[in-house]
Amino acid sequence: MTRRYVGERVARNEDRRLLTGRAMFVDDVQLPGMLHVAFLRSDHAHALLRGVDVSAALERPGVVAVFTADDLGDYWQPGPLLVPPPPVEGIVFHEATQVPLAKDKVRHVGEPVAMVVAESRYVAEDALADIVVDYEPLDAVVDLEAALAPDAPLVHERFGTNMAAFVAQRHGDYDRARAAADMVISRRFLYDRGAAAAMENRVVAAQWDPLAEDLTVWDTTQAPIPIRNGLARMLGLMESQVRVVAPFVGGGFGPKIMMFYPEEVLVPWAAMRLGRPVKWTEDRQENFFATSQERGQVHDAEMALTRDGRILGVRDFFLHDCGAYDPYGLTIPINSQCTLLGPYDVPHYYSEFRAVFTNKTIVTPVRGAGRQHGVFVMERLLDIAARELGLDPVEIRRRNYLSPELFPHNFDILYQDFAPLYYDSGNYLPALETATEMIGYEGFREEQRRLREEGRYVGVGVVSYIEGTGIGPYEGARVTVDPSGRVRVATGLGTQGQGHYTAFAQIVAEALDVDVERVSVVTGDTREFGWGTGTFASRGAVVAGSACHAAAVAVRGKILAMAARVLGAAEEQIDLADGRVSVRGIPERFMTLGELARHANPLRGAVKPGTEPGLEATAYFGPDHGSTASGVHAMIVEVDPETAMVEILRYVVVHDCGRLINPQLVEGQVQGGVAHGIGNSFYEKLHFDESGQLLNASFMDYLLPTAMDVPRVEMAHMETPAPMNPLGLKGVGEAGAIPAGAAFAQAVEDALSGYGLEITEIPLSPSQLFELLQVARAASPQIQETAG
Amino acid sequence: MIVEGEYTFSGPRDVVWELLQDPEVLSKAMPGAARLALVGDGAYEGSIRVGVGPVTAAEWKLAVTLQDRDPPAHYVMQVDSKGPIGFTRGSASVDLAETDGGCTLMRYRADLQVGGKVAGIGQRLIDQVAKMMTHRGLDALSNELRARLAEEA
Amino acid sequence: MAEPLAVTVTVNGAPYERSVEPRLLLSDFLRHGIGLTGTHVGCEHGVCGACTVLLDGEAVRSCLMFAVQADGHEVATVEGLAPEEGELHPLQEAFREVHGLQCGFCTPGFLMTLVPFLRDNPAPTEHEIREAISGNLCRCTGYQNIVEAVRLAAERMAAT
Repeated sequence: MTRRYVGERVARNEDRRLLTGRAMFVDDVQLPGMLHVAFLRSDHAHALLRGVDVSAALERPGVVAVFTADDLGDYWQPGPLLVPPPPVEGIVFHEATQVPLAKDKVRHVGEPVAMVVAESRYVAEDALADIVVDYEPLDAVVDLEAALAPDAPLVHERFGTNMAAFVAQRHGDYDRARAAADMVISRRFLYDRGAAAAMENRVVAAQWDPLAEDLTVWDTTQAPIPIRNGLARMLGLMESQVRVVAPFVGGGFGPKIMMFYPEEVLVPWAAMRLGRPVKWTEDRQENFFATSQERGQVHDAEMALTRDGRILGVRDFFLHDCGAYDPYGLTIPINSQCTLLGPYDVPHYYSEFRAVFTNKTIVTPVRGAGRQHGVFVMERLLDIAARELGLDPVEIRRRNYLSPELFPHNFDILYQDFAPLYYDSGNYLPALETATEMIGYEGFREEQRRLREEGRYVGVGVVSYIEGTGIGPYEGARVTVDPSGRVRVATGLGTQGQGHYTAFAQIVAEALDVDVERVSVVTGDTREFGWGTGTFASRGAVVAGSACHAAAVAVRGKILAMAARVLGAAEEQIDLADGRVSVRGIPERFMTLGELARHANPLRGAVKPGTEPGLEATAYFGPDHGSTASGVHAMIVEVDPETAMVEILRYVVVHDCGRLINPQLVEGQVQGGVAHGIGNSFYEKLHFDESGQLLNASFMDYLLPTAMDVPRVEMAHMETPAPMNPLGLKGVGEAGAIPAGAAFAQAVEDALSGYGLEITEIPLSPSQLFELLQVARAASPQIQETAG
Repeated sequence: MIVEGEYTFSGPRDVVWELLQDPEVLSKAMPGAARLALVGDGAYEGSIRVGVGPVTAAEWKLAVTLQDRDPPAHYVMQVDSKGPIGFTRGSASVDLAETDGGCTLMRYRADLQVGGKVAGIGQRLIDQVAKMMTHRGLDALSNELRARLAEEA
Repeated sequence: MAEPLAVTVTVNGAPYERSVEPRLLLSDFLRHGIGLTGTHVGCEHGVCGACTVLLDGEAVRSCLMFAVQADGHEVATVEGLAPEEGELHPLQEAFREVHGLQCGFCTPGFLMTLVPFLRDNPAPTEHEIREAISGNLCRCTGYQNIVEAVRLAAERMAAT
C-alpha cells in the first residue's frame, strides 16, 4: 500500500511542544552569566546628535558596559543592501542603509543611540535614564509629497533630494490606448502604514565560546543563513564558526526578514567583546518604533476602457514611503507595480514610481509586500469604471480576465526577482464563478433591496488578485534515514508558524512511504543545514518543499539500490512500503529501513567506489520563475450609516495555490491572512504627527482585530498545478491579506449606494467613514436614511 | 497640540506680572514638586516630576525662557523639557489685560510638541494632562497672588 | 533600589521560595526566576493576553502583576495543564486536531484563559466563545480554528 500524505489534512508534528509550553523561543534562552541589553532610542524624528554622555550610566551598579557609535570603531558600518535595484532602464536608486547606532544624526523616532549592557534588563532600563543626549532638532520629513518639494528638509543630505528611487516600467503603449479609449477613469488612491505586529517581538541572544572559538546566535529571524553569513563577514570569522538558530519563532509576517537590524549586529559583537552571553528582547513599545513597517503609498492612476468595459490600458504614478533608510531595495514598490495588473489582460501599461525617504521607521515587506496596493488600485478602478458604464462589477472582471489559453503569460516588465513578470499558469474564471455562487451573488441584489427597506444597509464586494510566489534563488534540504528507522529532514529555512515541520514531513513521508509522525523536520539552524536564503515572498513550501521532495526521491533511489544488494534481488523487484523493504512476492525477505540504514554505514568491508555510505541525500531547488497564485475574495458587510460601524456578515475566499500539500494548513494561512487584511482595512493605522512622532505606539491605541471582529472565512480550493516544480505547488502565505482592502472598499461602497461616496483610502477607520458620510450628506441633502 | 484659554486673576496687572517672573512662585505653579532657578535674564532651569496615564511619574528636566517681554502686558514663554521617556518643546504666548474691578485677564495660547515614548503611549491622555497642569498651575498662581496681596494689605 | 522580599508561590502544585525585587513582574518571575518559559510575554501592558496564567484558579495577566503579589497564592501555567507526561488536556488535544495554533506564541495564554471559562461555561455558544477570547490577540490564525477547538473541547469535556 502506498501512503498518501500530500494533499491530506495531517495534524501538525510541532503542536505538542507548542501546546505544552516546551517549544523553545529565543527569549527562553537563559545562560549562566548572561547579560541583558536595553537600547536608548531617539525621541526625535530628525535631529543632529551633538553629544551622548554615558558617564552616569556607567556608574550605576549592575551596568557592565555602555556603547555609543564611537565605541564601535571600524565595526560601525551601514548595513548591507539586501536587494540591489533591478536592471530597469533609466532607474535611479539612492542607497542609504541603516546604521548600528546613530552617529551625527538621528533619522526616526526609535533609532538606537546607545546600548546598555547590564546584569539584568531592569538595571539596563534604569540606566537609560542616566544617559544625557544633546540633540539639535531639525524639521521632520513626514508627508510624501512635501518630502519632494524643493525646499524640504533632507533625510540624507548627500543625495540633495529625498527621492530614494525612480523606476518607470512599460508594457505596450499606454498613450495609444488612451487615445483610442471610449472612457478614461482617473483617481488618487492612498494606502497608509500599519504594523506587522507579530505576537512575539524580536529577540537576539548570543554566546561566544572562546575554547571552541565559535559563536552561537539565537535570533527571531526569518532568514538565519544570511544572518550567519553577514555576521561572519562583519566579525571576521569563517561561516563555520558562526551558528545561527531561529528556533520556534512567534510569527514573522515580513519584518523578521529585515537584516541587519542594529540589534542583530550589536548583540553578537557585545557577547564576543565582553566574553559573556548577551540577550536583548524587544518590548512591544520598541517594536512600534524599531521593527520595520509597511504600506504608505499614494497613487495617481488612470484606466482607459472601451464602452463595453474592456481594459485598453492602465497608467499609474505613485509615491512609496521607504522610511528613513532603504535596505530592502525596491521589492515593495516593484511588487505594487507588477501586482496591479492582476488576472487581467491589460494590453498597455505604464507605471512609474518614486520611492521617498521620510523620518519614519524603515519600511520593508509585511505580509503582502506592496501587492495589496496594486490590487487596491486596479480593483477600485474597475469598480468605478463599472459604475460609470452601468456594468455589474462582477461582469467587468469577467470580461477582462486572461483566458486559460494565454498561459504561460509574459508581461514585458520586471518582477521583484528581476525576471520578467511571468504567469506560469492560471484559470481565473472558474474561481470567480465559484465565489459568486458561494456568496449568493445572484440573489443578493434582491435581498439587499429588501433589507434596505427595513433600514439595513448591506453590500457585497467581489475582487480578484494574483500573487507572484515561490521565487528563487534556491533552497535545499537533506533527508536522512536514521538507524532508528526515523527519517530526519533538515532545511535552511526559518519557520514562523506556517507548519513547515508538518508540510515537509508529508512530502518526505509520501516519497519514502513511512509514517508521517516518524519524519522529524529541523529548520532554522545553520549548523543543521547551511545553504539557503529564507522565508519570504510566500516561497517556503514551494521552494524548500520542492527541495525536500528532490532529496527524498534521491534517498528512495539509494534505499532501493541498497535493498537490492542486501536482499539479493533486482532493484525493480524491491517493494518499499510501511518503513520496510522487501522482495516482491517473497514478503519474508524484508528489512526495516532502520536496519537498512545500519547496513549502509558498515564498520567492516568496503563502501563501493561510486557509492556513498548512509541513506542520505541533499538536494536543491531553484526555480527560474515564481509561480502565480490567484484567487477571488467576496464579502458581505452591513454598515450603520449613523455610527459608520461596519460588520462583516460573510467572507468567501476561492483561491488557487496549485496543488495543496495540506488543506488544513492552507486554510489556516488564508483565514489568518484575511484577519490581517481586515485589520489593515479597518482598524490598523500608525498615526504620525507632523513632527514624525508616532502617536499610537501600543496595543491600547493601535487596534488589532480580535475574535469579535474576524468572521469565519468560507473557502474553496482550486488547484491549477504550477508547471515550474515537480509537486505543482504555489505559495499561499500572504494571499489572504492581499485583496481584503479592495473587497472591503467595494462592499462598503455598495452598502452605501445612493450616498455617492467613493472609497479611495485604506485603512478606512470608522471615523474616516463617518467623515465620508458627512461629506456625502452635505453634497446630497436629499439623502435620507430609511428608518430602521 | 494647542492649549489655550483665559484666566482671571483677582489682582492688579503689575503684581501678576511680577509673580510670573518669580522662579519661587513659578516653582509652586508647576505641579509635581518642581524646582526652578533663575539662570540668566528671563531664563530658568529646573526639574519637575510628572506622570501621564500609564507612564510612571519621572523626573523631567525643564528649561524656561521668557522672550518678547513687554511688561506688564505680554511675553512669550519658551518651555523645553526632557525626561527619560521623551521630551516636550513649545512656546506659550501670554497676554495680560486690566479688567474692571482691578482684576487681570490672562489670555494664553501654547503650541506644544511632545516626542518620544510618551508621545506613543500617552497620546490619549496628554491633552488632558496638559490642560489639567495648566489649570492647576493657574490656580496655584492665583492663590499665591491672594497671599501676596494679603501680605501687602 | 528597594530591598528584596521573600516570596513563596505554589506553581503547578510545587512550592517555590525566592527572594525577589518588589518590582519583578510575575511573568518575569515565572519565565526567568523559575524557568517556566511556556508563559509568553507579548505586550507587557495587559492587552495581548499571551502571559495569562491562573492565580488561585482565575485567569490573570502575569505581566500586570508583581511576583510579590502572588506570595502565598497558587499559580497554574501551561506547563501544568496536561494531566500526565505524554498526554494532553482536552483543550490542547482539540487545538492540535483542528489547527487552532500556528506560531503558537499566543497559545498558552489562550489555553489558560479558556480553562476557567469552560469550567464556568461548559456549553458555550460561538458568541460566548468569541467574547471569552476577545482579550487575547492572535495574529496568525484569524481565530476561527481557535473557536472550533473550544467548541470541540467543550463537547468532549461534557461527554466525560
